[in-house]
Amino acid sequence: MGKAKAQLPKRKSDLTFFQKVKRSRVLLLMCLPAVIFFLAFSYAPMPGIWVAFVKYNYRDGIFGSQFIGLDNFKFLATSGKLFSLTKNTILYNLAFIILGNFLAVFVAILLNEMRSKWFKKVSQTIMFLPYFISQVLVGILVFNLLNYDTGFVNGILTSLGMERWEPYSDPSVWPPILIIVYLWQQTGYNSVVYFAAIMGIDGEMMEAAKVDGANGFQRIRYIILPSLKPTIVILLLFALGGIVKGNFGLFYNIVGTNPMLFGTTDIIETYVYRATINDFNFSTASAVGLYQSLIGFIIVMTVNFIVKKIEPDYSLF
Amino acid sequence: MKKKVLALLLSTTMIAGLVGCGGKSDAGTGTNDNAASNAPADNSSASSNASTDNASGTDASAIDTSEHVVITYMTTGETPTGTKERYDEMMTELNKILTEKCNAELQTYFISWTDYLSNYNLTLAQMDGTVDLVGTASDWLDAWPNSKNGAFLELTEDMLKTYAPQTWASVPAENWELCKYNGDIYLIPEDNYAQWTNHGFIYRLDWAKAAGLSDGVKSWEDLTTYFKYVKETYPDIIPWDSDGTQYAQMAGGWIASHSDYVPIDGINSAAMWGGTRDDLYTVYSPFVTDTDSLVEFAKMMKEWNDIGVWQTDVLNNTSSTNRDDYRVGKVAAEQHHTQTWTDLVSHTPANTIYADDPNAETGFFYFGQETGNVTALSITHGAMAVSAGSKNPERALMVYDLLRNDPECYKLFCYGLEGVSYEITDDGLRTTPASYNQDTDNINGTTNYWWGRNDDLEIKDASRDWDKIDALYSEYDKVKIEYPYGQFVADVDNIRSQISNINEINTNYMKQIAFGKYNGSAEDIVAEYQAALKAAGIDEVTAELQRQFDALYK
Amino acid sequence: MANKDKDLMESGAKVKLGTSDKVIRGFGYVFLTLYSVCCIMPFIIIVSTSFTSEAVIRAEGVQFLPKDITLTAYNMVTKSGGIWRSYLVTITLTLVGTLIGLSIISMTGYALQRKDFPFRNAISFFIYFTSLFQAGLAPYYLLMTQTYHLKDSYLAVLLPLLMSPWLIILMKNFVKAIPHEITESGKIDGAGDMRIFVSLILPMLKPALATIGLFLALGYWNEWYQSSLFLSSRVAVKPLQFTLYEIVNKTDMLKNSVAGQFINLADIPQESVKMANAVLATGPIILLYPFIQKYFISGITVGAVKG
Repeated sequence: MGKAKAQLPKRKSDLTFFQKVKRSRVLLLMCLPAVIFFLAFSYAPMPGIWVAFVKYNYRDGIFGSQFIGLDNFKFLATSGKLFSLTKNTILYNLAFIILGNFLAVFVAILLNEMRSKWFKKVSQTIMFLPYFISQVLVGILVFNLLNYDTGFVNGILTSLGMERWEPYSDPSVWPPILIIVYLWQQTGYNSVVYFAAIMGIDGEMMEAAKVDGANGFQRIRYIILPSLKPTIVILLLFALGGIVKGNFGLFYNIVGTNPMLFGTTDIIETYVYRATINDFNFSTASAVGLYQSLIGFIIVMTVNFIVKKIEPDYSLF
Repeated sequence: MKKKVLALLLSTTMIAGLVGCGGKSDAGTGTNDNAASNAPADNSSASSNASTDNASGTDASAIDTSEHVVITYMTTGETPTGTKERYDEMMTELNKILTEKCNAELQTYFISWTDYLSNYNLTLAQMDGTVDLVGTASDWLDAWPNSKNGAFLELTEDMLKTYAPQTWASVPAENWELCKYNGDIYLIPEDNYAQWTNHGFIYRLDWAKAAGLSDGVKSWEDLTTYFKYVKETYPDIIPWDSDGTQYAQMAGGWIASHSDYVPIDGINSAAMWGGTRDDLYTVYSPFVTDTDSLVEFAKMMKEWNDIGVWQTDVLNNTSSTNRDDYRVGKVAAEQHHTQTWTDLVSHTPANTIYADDPNAETGFFYFGQETGNVTALSITHGAMAVSAGSKNPERALMVYDLLRNDPECYKLFCYGLEGVSYEITDDGLRTTPASYNQDTDNINGTTNYWWGRNDDLEIKDASRDWDKIDALYSEYDKVKIEYPYGQFVADVDNIRSQISNINEINTNYMKQIAFGKYNGSAEDIVAEYQAALKAAGIDEVTAELQRQFDALYK
Repeated sequence: MANKDKDLMESGAKVKLGTSDKVIRGFGYVFLTLYSVCCIMPFIIIVSTSFTSEAVIRAEGVQFLPKDITLTAYNMVTKSGGIWRSYLVTITLTLVGTLIGLSIISMTGYALQRKDFPFRNAISFFIYFTSLFQAGLAPYYLLMTQTYHLKDSYLAVLLPLLMSPWLIILMKNFVKAIPHEITESGKIDGAGDMRIFVSLILPMLKPALATIGLFLALGYWNEWYQSSLFLSSRVAVKPLQFTLYEIVNKTDMLKNSVAGQFINLADIPQESVKMANAVLATGPIILLYPFIQKYFISGITVGAVKG
């Protein structure tokens, strides 16, 4: 805001609200469809979050049903696992976010350095392939790769005369496996953002750097990486909001309901799924969602506040 | 000027979209809303009319059916795809009859199996007349919770007498009692249809005999012998290529076979609370009390695991096709219920084991066989309810009455068009015509009408081995007790969180126990399991259920 | 890394193609090739398995190269003919949704990064907040069906996917990279905000539009969730991925739920059918991708700034 003031012919703070609206009416109009969209599809249902605090009755609807306070939150709170589940969920997401973005930036930069257009196009397309494989099939593929009796890996091990590997009864190997699968599936998609951001870098700057004799590493270090910084920060901040929300499809399809692996692989979503699979209840699901949103909200507000202090330009709002 | 036009154009793209669709649907449902506000009035006047009518109340001509209505019937299951053409033909025929008899037509609203509980309940929550008739069940769909929470319409005796007279007359008074909650009838039971869904092991009787079990498998120990024999004799065969999802049935089966436990339906999927045959109304959970039995179970399953009854990674084996493998002789056992056995035991074209090997025979070891502990299915295992949001509950009942009792409607809805989808043999059995193609012509089982089948109108399938089936059914009839808790509708509001956590603990531990996939000793894992159950409040649940039992039965 | 960097700076700086470039390029080729192999192998397995007979799969597991190619799985998937109509629905939804979504997102993104727009922070927060708090399933469902009456309407799939906070913020971030002077120069020429956006900003946004358009298109292409909620069995033609999702998931869902104790599924989808579905669902968008890539390759900014 501070910078904005300086650039404007009149001091904005002197204007009344309506004058501001009038002056920026075209810009406001440009935002209008999006504002209406979020009002209609995100804000309009929000009061319905009340369902988390009632005993839902079909005839009375959400707001007519009996208020029962925090009863719907009880099951998670009394499970004795709330902390470990939340911790697992957050740690996995942290690993996904950090490693995911690191690898995506890495791949995007490498792709940008490639000179063969053919190679660029083909490899980028191929890297996008895993994104299209549904989680169910990923689960099947992983099982076919790793299972004890007929798995591909064990086939190789036995043909080399080595001991068979039994990952499906060893919880300790699953965090790396899940992270690798996640990276494998998402990097093609994530790197597109960074690749596009690199494309957006002022070409003159690059040319100038070349003329000045900057080598490849220097170009990356002093031009590309700094210009990717805002994108990286925004991506991270954004991902933080969902840090307590687990990737159910990934975990459920790969780990399934194998209790031997729960120690290292159980996240909030998979636990709730197992506990409520045969007891459908609008309120419980909403209560869990609200809990996750609240924690995510606190984390994001804190981090955004810190970012704003250090580098206001990078903050989300 | 130009810029403004452009801005307006762009920004209204989506406003127009929103307003457009809102306006359209408003217009569309405006009349419905009126109908909705009128519905209760109509309803009460209709029933008061009926009560002032003569006692029998079956005078159909007195009912006003001048307006043609569409009755939507909600069922779980997949929309027919390959058989769509036949299905549409059948519905056209059926709707001709329904239009003639009660000026209504039927439309089926399928809730596909993916996320069925969520989609089923969300559709009910709409309460805007989207569905009229609702297929439900007290043990595997939320019949009682939905009745309690206002999703279903209270069916008064007058309504039933007037609009579903044949059904009202055919269901005995004591069965109507079992469909009441707080004195009101909510469900119409499927109480005249013989079926057994008690679980057990389906196995190769010829192999069991070769293994030295001349009478077939009669106990869990016999199963051990059987599996050992199969594994040794046929190394290429996986005795039972399980996918690890049957842990609850196996544990329940073990307990049925080793005690007089009679579980209560519909509290949780593993049916962890109940009474005993000689003391039905004292609630307990064998999962907490029968420690020694559970330890023995854990040991035996570990032994099965070591024998190699299932694959090493059984708990992650999602792609198992065990039942189809059984049909072609690639596995030696299948764990499922009696209904499935009636299929596998019969020499149908799909069951190629019988054609490939003339000696092949299929036996069934049902859980509870050792102790004769068999409980008949609850009559609300399948039931029809009327949505509380229905605009035409009277007509819905009339349609149901026809579907359930009118031979023509029943056969169309259950079997399809005669001569196309089925034909009747000289013995009065049902078979398929020469031109029949299972992939395109089959109707039987695609309408998923599990909520009002009627043995008076059923035509037996000629491909089933009725001698064997009837023999087993009569054996059941000798030992069975009727489901004793039909009148009990548990109020789980205060114990929901405990039950949810117990469900999770059960999945967690019982999966390991039932497939012998635990570390340490059997005693340790059972102790750990029971400690977790106690910590989650299983005793509170038992006490609460006992309190509700006492209120009802004492 | 730092040491090497220094060395290279000294020795190779003046050579046209510096050693460091060679190192980066060499490493890049090796790394990207290996990574691509990892990405394509599972896909090859899926394609071959879809052409393999079920008997072979059960005996030997999934296949790298199909043994005695069979089209059974594809015949099963396509036999009802419904899948082609599903393609049509999905393609229409994808095209319409992406176009509308892209125009709204880019307008909003541009407005939100304008430093002289007094409401930009408020609106940004207004939009971002929705990514933190959602109402949950039941309220959303009831609003969509009871208030908007979108049940059984394709609009229920089209509208909610038009934009997301994430895509708007991403767009805002892309627009930020365009020098502010361009807007200023437009203003000096007397152009209004809309005119500046359409004729000066949009042409420079091609990589961003391609990226966000791609994400939108993928969102529509892979959509099954809204369909599963709002398109009931009364809608004859479902979007493609929803059909496939149903086929692949139903057995698992049923087996793990209490209904599985009672209900027998008539046909359990086979491995090859699942794989054939995946191939059919992926194929077209993969073919589309290289077309979009065109916009990633050329650096557009240079020309635009000068012109």
